[in-house]
Amino acid sequence: MTDYNYKSCTGCALICEDILYSDKEAVTQARNICRKGQAHYQSLFAERTKPMIEGREASLDQAIARAAEILKGAKSPLIYGWSNSSSEAQAVGMDLAERIGAAVDDPSTYCEGLFMEMVLKGEVPSCTLDDVRNYADTSIFWGSDPSSSQPRHLSRFSYFPRGEKRQKSYEEERTCIVVDVRESPTARLCPNTTYRVGPGEDVQFLEAILNVLEGKIPKFGDKKKMIELGSVLKKTEYGVIFPGRGIFPSLQDKMELFSDLMARLNEVSTFKAIPVAGGFNTRGFNQLLLDRTGYVKSVSFQQDNGKIIHRPEDSLAGAAKRADALLAFGSDPLAELPVGVARALAKVPMVVIDSCRSITSDEARVVIPSAISGLEAGGTAIRTDGMKVSLEPFMKTDRLAEKQILTRIMEAM
Amino acid sequence: MAVEVKVATFRDIFQYEAGRKGMHSDEYLQLSAQILMDKEDMASLGVKDGGRVLAENEVGRVVLVARASGDKAHPGVAFMIESPWSHQLEDDEPCKHGALGFRGISATVTPSQDNVTELAEIVQRLKE
Repeated sequence: MTDYNYKSCTGCALICEDILYSDKEAVTQARNICRKGQAHYQSLFAERTKPMIEGREASLDQAIARAAEILKGAKSPLIYGWSNSSSEAQAVGMDLAERIGAAVDDPSTYCEGLFMEMVLKGEVPSCTLDDVRNYADTSIFWGSDPSSSQPRHLSRFSYFPRGEKRQKSYEEERTCIVVDVRESPTARLCPNTTYRVGPGEDVQFLEAILNVLEGKIPKFGDKKKMIELGSVLKKTEYGVIFPGRGIFPSLQDKMELFSDLMARLNEVSTFKAIPVAGGFNTRGFNQLLLDRTGYVKSVSFQQDNGKIIHRPEDSLAGAAKRADALLAFGSDPLAELPVGVARALAKVPMVVIDSCRSITSDEARVVIPSAISGLEAGGTAIRTDGMKVSLEPFMKTDRLAEKQILTRIMEAM
Repeated sequence: MAVEVKVATFRDIFQYEAGRKGMHSDEYLQLSAQILMDKEDMASLGVKDGGRVLAENEVGRVVLVARASGDKAHPGVAFMIESPWSHQLEDDEPCKHGALGFRGISATVTPSQDNVTELAEIVQRLKE
């Protein structure tokens, strides 16, 4: 008979804690894991990194020493990534940023980061995913597609489970609403309550909701359908909006409209917001940066004194274009950033800490192999709703955790 | 023949899976280097499902495989899975809050006989 142990999955920001792995030297079976979690697990068998300097294999000590040299000598270093690293690695990374006077940013800067900032600063009400499971009768996925990005969202929390106050669940008590530019896999679950908006039209859609809540005829979309949506929202007992990356292009310069909508909705019922984070510990990084600096975006530390700088030119694009060195961990910036930013980074000495080969590691001046957080290295992380989760490794490795690598780089300085 | 489109990017679990196995794999290339278009837009270009198109704007250009999206009609709107190919068309203007602002992609799509842009070519462009 196979013995199983509960472990957490770092495949996405839900950090599911109910993954059962067979308790053997080599994992032969896993239960409850989703397709994304399984893909993350397969990273163990992907092309793993080796210590490299200038494209040639080196010892780990040499790679760490060279990384320290590059970062110490930089005048405008950028540290990018963070969101797929443990909170402990993030904390050491932040110490390093302070010490070398680096700009810091993560992928949420072009995704749900501004929504996360509103939640972290208390500008919009939020709740836990367990509250969603127990109380929510209306879930609105706006510009988000959890079936792809957080595959067990609907089954564990927002649509299918029988929660404390929602025993009749999706059959009778839960309504799933999707607002998206396309017919996403999540939208296919609820075709009658899916609202298609064109690129950039989320603002008009939002204003149409405010109109119907005021009893006015909406100026956007199918009027009958918008009025029906207004009725659903008014009858909602506990609603939750899950904003994702898709809403960002429309609202990025008008974020106050989102807090206006939340305020208006809370006049008629209870409504919360939980951003759909990308990396498993995106929220952990956002929280850490806020705690350390008072900001969630566009932050850099001044060289020599570590003073916090927050200016528009410290946005990721600005920081990347004036960077003279990059430290990337928990990310693949050349693959995930717009061409202008990626091109700027590709021209500077790059130090990459990564478990697997990536486009950035292929081009890096120094590559330092790391253990995979949650699979080979432990620690803690913050789930997308703010819950702290413990990560216990279950695969043995001789690779160092990112926290250890970052500590050794600092020591080497 | 050309069609002006707004391109919305999205994440796809199958492409994520392919990427975890290896971003240099054919599977990752096939899922990433494609543009999902409205059937009528494809017809107006004279491009069949699986045909090649050039998507370009002031930021960059990539040759992609055109696929009919299967969604309800969405003329003038196309979809791409977020990838190094879609990033070739994305600007990097920050929004007023300082976040990197993907303001949406506008691109001109024309039929193409060229090979689909390879990942190696994209990486080479980054270094130029």
